[in-house]
Amino acid sequence: MNKQLEKLFRLPTVEDPYQYKKVRIVDIEDLAPDHRMFTLKFTDERVSQNFDFVPGQFIMLTIPKAGEIPLSICSSPTRKGTIQITVRRTGRKTKYLYTLKEGDLLAVRGPYGNGFPMDLMKGNNVLIIAGGLGLAPLRSVIWYVLDKREDYKEVYLLYGTRNYRLVLYKEELERLRKRSDIKTIFALDRFESEEDRAWADYEGYLPGLISKVDLDPEKTYVTVCGPPIAYKFIGAELIKNGYHESKIFVSLERKMECGIGKCGHCQVGYKLTCVDGPVFPLWDTKNLPNMI
Amino acid sequence: MSTLFKLEKAKILPKSRIFDFLNLLKENFDDLIAPVRKGKYTVFSEIENVEDIVFEYTRTLLPPKKFILKYRRERFTYDARTLEIEKKENLSKKQVIFGVHPCDLHGLTILDQIHLGEFPDPRYLEVRRNTVLIGLSCEPDEWCYCISTGTAFPDGANWDLFLTDIGGKYFVSIGSDKGDELVHLSDGLFEEVTEEDLNKFKEETAKKKHLFDYERLPDLERISQVIELEYESEVWKQEAERCLSCGTCTNTCPTCFCYTSVDIPSLDGKKVQRVEFITSCQYPYYSRVAGGHEFLEDRTARFRHRYYHKFVGYPYQIGKFGCVGCGRCSAFCPANISMVKTLKKLREGKKEKTNV
Repeated sequence: MNKQLEKLFRLPTVEDPYQYKKVRIVDIEDLAPDHRMFTLKFTDERVSQNFDFVPGQFIMLTIPKAGEIPLSICSSPTRKGTIQITVRRTGRKTKYLYTLKEGDLLAVRGPYGNGFPMDLMKGNNVLIIAGGLGLAPLRSVIWYVLDKREDYKEVYLLYGTRNYRLVLYKEELERLRKRSDIKTIFALDRFESEEDRAWADYEGYLPGLISKVDLDPEKTYVTVCGPPIAYKFIGAELIKNGYHESKIFVSLERKMECGIGKCGHCQVGYKLTCVDGPVFPLWDTKNLPNMI
Repeated sequence: MSTLFKLEKAKILPKSRIFDFLNLLKENFDDLIAPVRKGKYTVFSEIENVEDIVFEYTRTLLPPKKFILKYRRERFTYDARTLEIEKKENLSKKQVIFGVHPCDLHGLTILDQIHLGEFPDPRYLEVRRNTVLIGLSCEPDEWCYCISTGTAFPDGANWDLFLTDIGGKYFVSIGSDKGDELVHLSDGLFEEVTEEDLNKFKEETAKKKHLFDYERLPDLERISQVIELEYESEVWKQEAERCLSCGTCTNTCPTCFCYTSVDIPSLDGKKVQRVEFITSCQYPYYSRVAGGHEFLEDRTARFRHRYYHKFVGYPYQIGKFGCVGCGRCSAFCPANISMVKTLKKLREGKKEKTNV
């Protein structure tokens, strides 16, 4: 009989990681076509106050009757009381989520995963590279860094998406653009309209814009989230520009049923996205086959 | 008699009393589970009559994990409106699984490590707590390679009693307090170990090692590295071409645990049952995310994924191979894909592809 089992046999009970906590939708905001932000508040006030997480961590959201989905938290742990998630309507379960209204109940398990190494990044520059919906988990990083501004040196946000219609958090980005403690570069893949031209700083894809960032790569941590296809190019471009592969962190997406290393679906190479990720150093993307 | 046996690490059970012992188990547990014949296969099944039990078999169709990690299991039922969790499956049934071979004991131990490691699953713990495992020694056939995976003997696995056939008697090793309780419960059936029994036990153990055809066994030295380095090998594609993606290999595997979770509303929509089904990485939709992207893009990727997980993934997660050498995935594969042969081809490169 091994140690682990013997120890657990003697405990009266263990905490149930499958047990969820109820949340109420307190706000719904349409960000772009098929992109919606939900603000959730735990029905139990104590849970609300104690719910702590690291930017980049995710939750398992129960949508009544439809099932559970993994979603990254897009609000910052520095702003307690509610949590926010940004959901693209793309599958069966998210379609159902879009039918829900303010005041409806959902349930949450988590937070799970490792999140971005915010403590490790202290005292360094932070470069945030977001592609499309990848801005959602990084919004958490942005607000975290801005709320603890004195812990970090220069902060840079590089955000690219397809066109102006798909730009998320438009007002927030506008406010960021005006702030002096964060530098921003906003790009659109191709200028298709006047409003595209008016909003964006550049036309083009993210990898091409990395050379426009004027940060000392030696003292910079990079956080990346975007469509899987982009990682390879962004990673290569970052290395070319002198950034260290151990200081570049990417957030991955995989199919998940449990979030706690039991269902097997999120296996990437020999690691599990849910417990060993979803944030991996760029080195892992070379080391683990089929990762990006 | 040496003082060692006063520690009660072992006892002797004469074969003539085995049915008395099994009947006693049947009386004391809600379920007695043991191997029985079913057509041309042996399967683990709830026992009505202890005389149905098969003592000499090589491998059952499904491993005993089906009684610990049920293939369809209910997580809980919740109220669709209030989301209040209402009902959880009753797991208080006491079961004893008799006749489990060393490979399957190691398989269950691996499942224990997965489910009771980080984020221990209380459901699994409850079932495991109410289960007593009684192992039984065995002889390998042409599919077994447990001697290569280090799982030919029960040492290092979680079990309560282990019976080694030493001729007219069973040498009963005691592996836990639960096992010890059973021995005491059946006072009078068991005898003390004599010097002769102990020698016979050692002989039997040594004998098993010589029953393997070492020519046929896989070489698992540095297999993790070989698989990583041969990730792009043609062998994967060649082997996967025969694969039917049926999932037999994973369903019969004693260490596979992947599941899918589904919320099933009742007909009136008031209650929702959260059900977990065992799934397989060999199924096309296994890695599909919303939007349709499949991370394991084709059959070759899925085929390779299983080997990669068993020999690279498990060592990273729990420090040992996820394969216990039971041979089920190969023996039951409808396309005759053999794990041992695939590993050999991989190690030897492309030149051997015709004569293995």
